Amino acid sequence: MMDTDSLRTLVERNAASRGGPGKRFPDLRAEMERLEERGELIIHRIRPENRAVEVRNLVGGTKRIPTDRLWHHKSCGQCGNIPGYPSSLLWLMNETGRSYLNEPHQTSCTAWNYHGTGTSNPVALAAVAARNFHRAYETDHFPLIHCGTSFGDYKEMRRLLVENEDVRHKVRDVLRRLGRELVLPEEIVHYSEWVHVMAPEIVARKVHNVDGIVTAVHEPCHYYKMVPEDAVYDPHFFGGQRPAVPSAIVMALGAKVADYSTWYDCCGFGFRHILAEREFSRSFANLRKIRPMVEEAHADVAITSDTGCVTTLDKSQWIGKAHGFSYSLPILSDVEFVALALGAHPYKIVQVHWHTTCVEGLMTKMGIDWKSAKEEFREYLERLKNGAAPDNLYPPRDEIERYFAINKGPVMPDPEGVGPASLPAPSNAKGGSP
Amino acid sequence: MSIVARLPRPPSDRVEEESPEPPALLIRGRHAPSPEERSLSEEILTEFRADPRSSEFVLGCLNCGECTSGCPAARFYDFSPREMVQVAIHADAPTLWDAMQEKIWACCQCYSCTMRCRFGNDIGGIISVMRELSVRHGLDSARKTLAPFGRTFRLLTTVGTQISPDMIQPEFFRDWGPAATRLDETWGVPLEVLRKAIPIDVLRTTRAAWEVSVQTSLELFRIYEETGVLDMLRGVDPDLVEMLVDLVDERRGEFEEAKRRFQLPKAEPAGPSSSSPG
Amino acid sequence: MNPILVIGAGPAGLSAAAELADLGAPTLLVERERYLGGNPTRWRYSMLVPDLKPTEEVLGGLLRKVETDPRIERRLSTIATKAEAAGKGYRVTLRTDATEETREVSAVVVATGFEHFDSRRKFEYGYGRFPDVLDFKELEGMITDDRIVRPSDGKAPRRIAWILCVGSRDIQVGNTWCCRLGCAVSIKQAVEVRKRHPEIEAYVYYMDIRTYGLWERLYWDAMQEFGVKFIRGRVGHITLAEDGKRLLASGEDTILSRPTEIPFDMIVLASGMEPGAGTTEAARLFGLTVGPEGFLAPRMADLNPIDSGVQGVFYAGAATGPKAIVDSVTEGMGAALRAFRYARG
Repeated sequence: MMDTDSLRTLVERNAASRGGPGKRFPDLRAEMERLEERGELIIHRIRPENRAVEVRNLVGGTKRIPTDRLWHHKSCGQCGNIPGYPSSLLWLMNETGRSYLNEPHQTSCTAWNYHGTGTSNPVALAAVAARNFHRAYETDHFPLIHCGTSFGDYKEMRRLLVENEDVRHKVRDVLRRLGRELVLPEEIVHYSEWVHVMAPEIVARKVHNVDGIVTAVHEPCHYYKMVPEDAVYDPHFFGGQRPAVPSAIVMALGAKVADYSTWYDCCGFGFRHILAEREFSRSFANLRKIRPMVEEAHADVAITSDTGCVTTLDKSQWIGKAHGFSYSLPILSDVEFVALALGAHPYKIVQVHWHTTCVEGLMTKMGIDWKSAKEEFREYLERLKNGAAPDNLYPPRDEIERYFAINKGPVMPDPEGVGPASLPAPSNAKGGSP
Repeated sequence: MSIVARLPRPPSDRVEEESPEPPALLIRGRHAPSPEERSLSEEILTEFRADPRSSEFVLGCLNCGECTSGCPAARFYDFSPREMVQVAIHADAPTLWDAMQEKIWACCQCYSCTMRCRFGNDIGGIISVMRELSVRHGLDSARKTLAPFGRTFRLLTTVGTQISPDMIQPEFFRDWGPAATRLDETWGVPLEVLRKAIPIDVLRTTRAAWEVSVQTSLELFRIYEETGVLDMLRGVDPDLVEMLVDLVDERRGEFEEAKRRFQLPKAEPAGPSSSSPG
Repeated sequence: MNPILVIGAGPAGLSAAAELADLGAPTLLVERERYLGGNPTRWRYSMLVPDLKPTEEVLGGLLRKVETDPRIERRLSTIATKAEAAGKGYRVTLRTDATEETREVSAVVVATGFEHFDSRRKFEYGYGRFPDVLDFKELEGMITDDRIVRPSDGKAPRRIAWILCVGSRDIQVGNTWCCRLGCAVSIKQAVEVRKRHPEIEAYVYYMDIRTYGLWERLYWDAMQEFGVKFIRGRVGHITLAEDGKRLLASGEDTILSRPTEIPFDMIVLASGMEPGAGTTEAARLFGLTVGPEGFLAPRMADLNPIDSGVQGVFYAGAATGPKAIVDSVTEGMGAALRAFRYARG
């Protein structure tokens, strides 16, 4: 590890050479402010209520991560196929007393479709992004992006909207026809960055010992390769040479992070390939990621922080048996691993049964009594089958919200007293025809 | 024509001939455009050059190969990001046409190349531009690519998410194994009940990743209409688009009905939002 | 006349000071380090290009002359902190840890040189975390001592790779220029290693080979006589190899047009040249023009790199851009002559 002075020089040197006008990584913030002054857009600012924590990025600049009053921007793949992923995150927020809004009034970012098929265009992508940002803004909750691809896409859209006047005006026109304005949040924040800054509170609530667990971390491409300057780097992790997220939370919990030869490789999701050319995805995942993680890193579990990566690495292993790969390496997102370590119910909260790789072995190593938990869950399913009302992590919504995006206050009671009463009243006019 | 007639004639005999074909980078590629496709390939080249992103994303190339070093597709396909950049810089119509058949679809869109390019190119980005062009022009290769994504498109335009739990059908995802496709059998309850057991209310559906409100899904459709995405799709699959428009009309009907049920006022005229919190 | 100030005692500054002394000019040589010699001394360069003569043989005479010549006033551990025009010359404030004094000088030679790129900034190479990834300055010392071993386990390497253009020609780290010497120095190192240890395999990963002019001989000899292998393609990242002991260099062989991954026992980075802090500071002190890359911009770069365009100030060496030692020494002589004529009126 370097001494502080060398480190500071290094970071400043990096920032000076990479950032600034005309350099590789332009500073968008100043330009965003200028545009707001000219009335071209509205900046959704982070406020004290959001309890933001500062982190550093690739070029040594600061990024602020809001931890409270968050608007969940959900991931299609997570909600569809890995529901324990968002469920673990919301459970963590409940445990740490953070308020949030999770609502039906969010569209997909549409980026998976774009990357897979090319059937969209920058104006459409930017308009979808801006529409979701505006929704978060009008609910007074700061957007938290669940998917790595949404995160990468939204970072690019921010840059596009700030730098390209033509696109910006087109998007603003489309939004106005929807009754919305052009809003850009002050920061584009990935949920794994929230987990990262919540480390002290998370570790304080640890229930199971993970000291003996060896993990291999897979860094999602779209987290750090798109708009690379906007990702969390920390000199205490990998000497600041690899993103700190999500490795840092794994280490903070006490588990080991082992290196392997293909650390930088993509998982093989391919966006298109995972659906339409799966021989590629499963070959790549098994040969280039799973095998080194098992044979070099000797991992008990692979941790990653993106939808596509969990999907690819998890779903590609079963067929590997046809080629003599019988690894069965459990793949978990950072939040699922964290939730398990903090004592969340493996099936009711972490929903491990949606994974095709077997998580039970890992849970045994962690000292989790999954057998009882499984029984409990079976009973719960029976009750649900017979018409019982399901448990929910927050008060479920009224039926009107199946149709209309009304304004709504925070889900969790706000200890500061800024409750629903002080928010703008639900505006039925928002239910206007599109 | 007999071979004798094709032999070059001595200069004194030469008469005014048509000007010869300009030399092509791709002399006889795997996917050279047929004579009928020739003019389309030239139109595509012109559009490609005219797209402002072409000059923004491709600045030049040192041929250093660093982009390819991290490329997952380069290991498995006859493809490399370096090749794509070279095509973007030098291509004539047949070469670009060739690249747009198979090569651009090999790309995994991981952006390892873009992150590493020493010259500052956005290689993943320029490949996306080529893909957009191929869809816009309804090329066969685009049609083939889009075929499995018809469902995704239907989901996006009607319910607003790209995935739905009920699309993980055993016949289509056999290689993911029974744990993925037969979860209901493993637990002895229907998929709907398994979704009910998720402690997040909007996830309790099998037809979408999460339940998107009707207003929101209509907003997404409107965006697709106004920004030309539906038109792009029409070029490749007009029947699909017709079906989508019908489905969305049904949604609109549902929406209007709900307005009546909840006694909401008529639509406000279009204009800036009046409810931005301070 | 008032002394002529030479800022920097690397090869350019030493050469300027020696020349000025021989011209009979009083010379004030200011150097921020505790020693004379600049980067070659600091990093213990072993042999220089193109003839591969030991540094001591090439520069030793110059160093000793400057160390002992009574006409040269040497100020080590000293920096210039202020400068203002005084008549035709300058009034300069010089500071050490303990003292501060102001001197009148009749002309200035800026020979503040360069700094090597800090290879930790090329994140994907893991320099600073993988002990067997070395900067080529570190290898110089190993070659001088003829102790070429892996820092991780002290074992002799069987296969070494040199990666050119680290911190050069790379917008991702912010340095777009060529360092001029990376090729020649790396190939020289590969040749030196192969000469002493023919059992060690040497690979050079390159984008271009810039062994300019007559230095091309080095490149041909490296292949013909010493069997150094060249792979055309830059390395994207370095990770641990499968055995957990060696390093894996992932790149593309652009001639064969395919990705390549080769395990090595040691990887050496040809780290480029950047404008040094001294150069930036000198620009501030004397109001000098700095080019877009941060090096000092001469008045007419197409003509000569010595005339600054600023009254009484002359340039020598890598302060104006990446330079070989032979060029720095030559420019030192030219700057000395210019400064002398200027001071004499």
